[in-house]
Amino acid sequence: MADVRLTDIRKRFGALEIIKGVDLSIKTGEFVVFVGPSGCGKSTLLRMIAGLEDITSGELTIGGAVMNDVDPSKRGIAMVFQSYALYPHMTVRENMGFALKFAGMERQEIDRRVNDAARILELGPLMDRKPKALSGGQRQRVAIGRAIVRNPDVFLFDEPLSNLDAELRVHMRVEIAKLHKALKSTVIYVTHDQVEAMTLADKIVVLRAGIVEQVGAPLDLYDDPANTFVAGFIGSPRMNFLKARVVAAEAGYVTVALANQPHVKLSLPLRSSTAKAGDEVSLGVRPEHFFPAGQGDADLVLDVDVAEHLGNTSYVYANVSADERIIVEHEEFRGARNRDRLTVGLSTAKSFLFDSSGMRIR
Amino acid sequence: METARPGGLKRYYDVNEWLFVGPALALIALFMLYPIAYSLYLSAFSGKGMMVKFAGFGNIIRLTKDPVFITALTNTITFFVIQVPIMITLALILASLLNNPRLKFSGFFRTAIFLPCVSSLVAYSVLFKSMFALDGVVNSALETIGIISEPISWFTEPFWAKTLIIIALTWRWTGYNMIFYLAALQNIDRSIYEAARIDGVPAWARFVYITVPMLKPVILFTTVISTIGTIQLFDEVYNLSAEGKGGPADSTLTLSLYIYNLTFRYMPSFGYAATVSYVIVVLVALLSLLQFYVARERR
Repeated sequence: MADVRLTDIRKRFGALEIIKGVDLSIKTGEFVVFVGPSGCGKSTLLRMIAGLEDITSGELTIGGAVMNDVDPSKRGIAMVFQSYALYPHMTVRENMGFALKFAGMERQEIDRRVNDAARILELGPLMDRKPKALSGGQRQRVAIGRAIVRNPDVFLFDEPLSNLDAELRVHMRVEIAKLHKALKSTVIYVTHDQVEAMTLADKIVVLRAGIVEQVGAPLDLYDDPANTFVAGFIGSPRMNFLKARVVAAEAGYVTVALANQPHVKLSLPLRSSTAKAGDEVSLGVRPEHFFPAGQGDADLVLDVDVAEHLGNTSYVYANVSADERIIVEHEEFRGARNRDRLTVGLSTAKSFLFDSSGMRIR
Repeated sequence: METARPGGLKRYYDVNEWLFVGPALALIALFMLYPIAYSLYLSAFSGKGMMVKFAGFGNIIRLTKDPVFITALTNTITFFVIQVPIMITLALILASLLNNPRLKFSGFFRTAIFLPCVSSLVAYSVLFKSMFALDGVVNSALETIGIISEPISWFTEPFWAKTLIIIALTWRWTGYNMIFYLAALQNIDRSIYEAARIDGVPAWARFVYITVPMLKPVILFTTVISTIGTIQLFDEVYNLSAEGKGGPADSTLTLSLYIYNLTFRYMPSFGYAATVSYVIVVLVALLSLLQFYVARERR
C-alpha cells in the first residue's frame, strides 16, 4: 500500500507563497507526472513529498500514514535527481549499495539487491567503473538503480532526462516506462516536457504558479482541456487561440465570428450557457486540426510567413492578420510556399471556445 | 615575408624577449638561486665566524652527535605530527558546519574564524602572553569552571609550553585552511547530500564517506602546505617562548629557531646552520612525497 494523498498542501518562503493549496490523490502503482512551466512549483512540490522541503501547512500521507514531519529516509521513497547526484568517488556498485549498509542490511542481501538492479538496468559490465567514466544515460541508469535497491513504495523523479541529449531522452523515456511496468511501484515524475508527460503518465497534473490547473489522463487533457493554459501547454506545437466575438447565442449554441476575419463564422454547442451576443471569446484550434480548404465548416485565409516541410507533415507559420499569427499543420500543405496565400478549413467538432477569463465554454 | 614567430634557435636568441624577462630572472637568480647554491656550498665548511675550513660531510656527522639538534628535530616533528591533524580535522568540521544553508550569521562566523591568520603576529603574541600568564584570563577561566585546581605554568613547564604553541598555531591557521574547504564544499552538488539523506545515510557517515573523500585533493593541498609551514615553524616559538630562545629547556626549540640561534645568536657558524636548513629541505620533500603517495588516485 503506497497511495499518496496531498490535502491543501501549502509552501511559503517568508511572505511569498509558492504552493497555494494542492489537493491530490495518487493511487498505488500509478505513474503521475507533474508538468508545468519553470517556476510553477512542481519541483518544490516533489521535494515536499520527499521531505527535502518543509510543508508550511496541509497534510501529506503516504500509505495512510501522515508524513509531514517524518525524516526523508523513513517515508518509503527513493528519488532520482536531474543531476544524477551520484557519489563521484565510488564505483557503480558502491554507489548502489552504499546507503543499504546504514540500514543494517546483511552483506549478501546488499549484493543480491545490487545485482538484481544491475540486471534489470543492464549495468553489468559497468559495475566497477566510476561515474566520470560513464555517459549521461548510463549515469542516470545508475541513479535509477540506486533508487531500485531500496525497494521503495514510491519513486520520485525530478526532471531525470533534462540533462540528456534528444535521442537518449527518447530511449530513457521508454526504459522508464518499461521499468514502471516491471516494478509496478507508484511513481511521481516531474518534468517541463509535455511529450514526456503525455507518453509516460497514467495521470498528468498540470501546475501553474503553485496551483493545480487540471488533473487527468494524458488524452483527456488533450481532448478536454479545462482552460487556455492547459490547452496551450498540452500538445505540440501549442494550440492556436484566435480572437473571436459571439454574434448570436441561443439555447445551448453560440455563433462566433473571428475578430480579424469576420466572414469566418462557426456555430458551436456550449458547455455552459453564460455566453451572450457581443462577448469577447477565443477560439482554440490545434495546429493539426486545420484542414485543406473546403473540407471544414468554414474557410480561413492566411498569409504564409514560413513553411517547413518535414516530409510526413508540413508546418506553416502564417498570419491571420497583421497582429495575429498561427501555426497550422497538415500533410497536404506541402504546396505552401513562403509569402503565399493559403486557405485552410476549420471544423466545429475540433474547435474549442474559451471565455475572456480563459475558462473553456465549449 | 618573414614569419611572425621564427622557429629554431632564432626564437631563443631574440633580444627583445630576453629583455622583458631579464630583470625578473636576474632577481630570482640573485635572491633565490644564488642563496640556494651558496648555502649548499657553505654546508661543506665548518668553523665560527670568518674562521672556516673545508669539512666535507663533517657537518652532517656533527648533526648526528648534536643533542640540541636532536631536540629541535624531535620538537619540530612533535609539533607537525600533533598539530597538523588536529588543525585539518577542526578546519574540516568547521567548514562542514558553516556550509549548512540553515545556519544563521554564517558570514560573521566565517570572518571571525578566518581573521586570526590575517592579524598581526606581534599583536597576537602579546595578547597570548597576557592571556596565558599565570594569573591570566585562561587560567582564571579554567579555575572558575573547575577544570584545574591551580594555575598552569604555560611558559615554564615544557609540556604546557609545547601545548601553548600548538594552541596558538591552531588558532591562527585553522580558519585559513577552512576557507579552502568551504570553497571546495560549495562546488559539491547539493543534491548528492539530499540523495544520501533520502537514502538514510546518517549525518556522520555523510561527512566521513562523502564530504571527506570529495575534498581529498584540497585536503592533500592543505596538508602539504601546513606540513611545510610547521616544519619551518619559527614565528610562534620565537614570539611565545621566553626571550625567543625556544625555552623552557629547549622544549619549544624548532629547527628554524635553531638555525636562527646558530647564525645570529651564538657565535655564527654559517656552515653548520646551512646544513640544518638542508635538513628542513629534505624533510619537506620526503613528507610531501609521502602525502602525494598516500593520497594517490587508486585505479
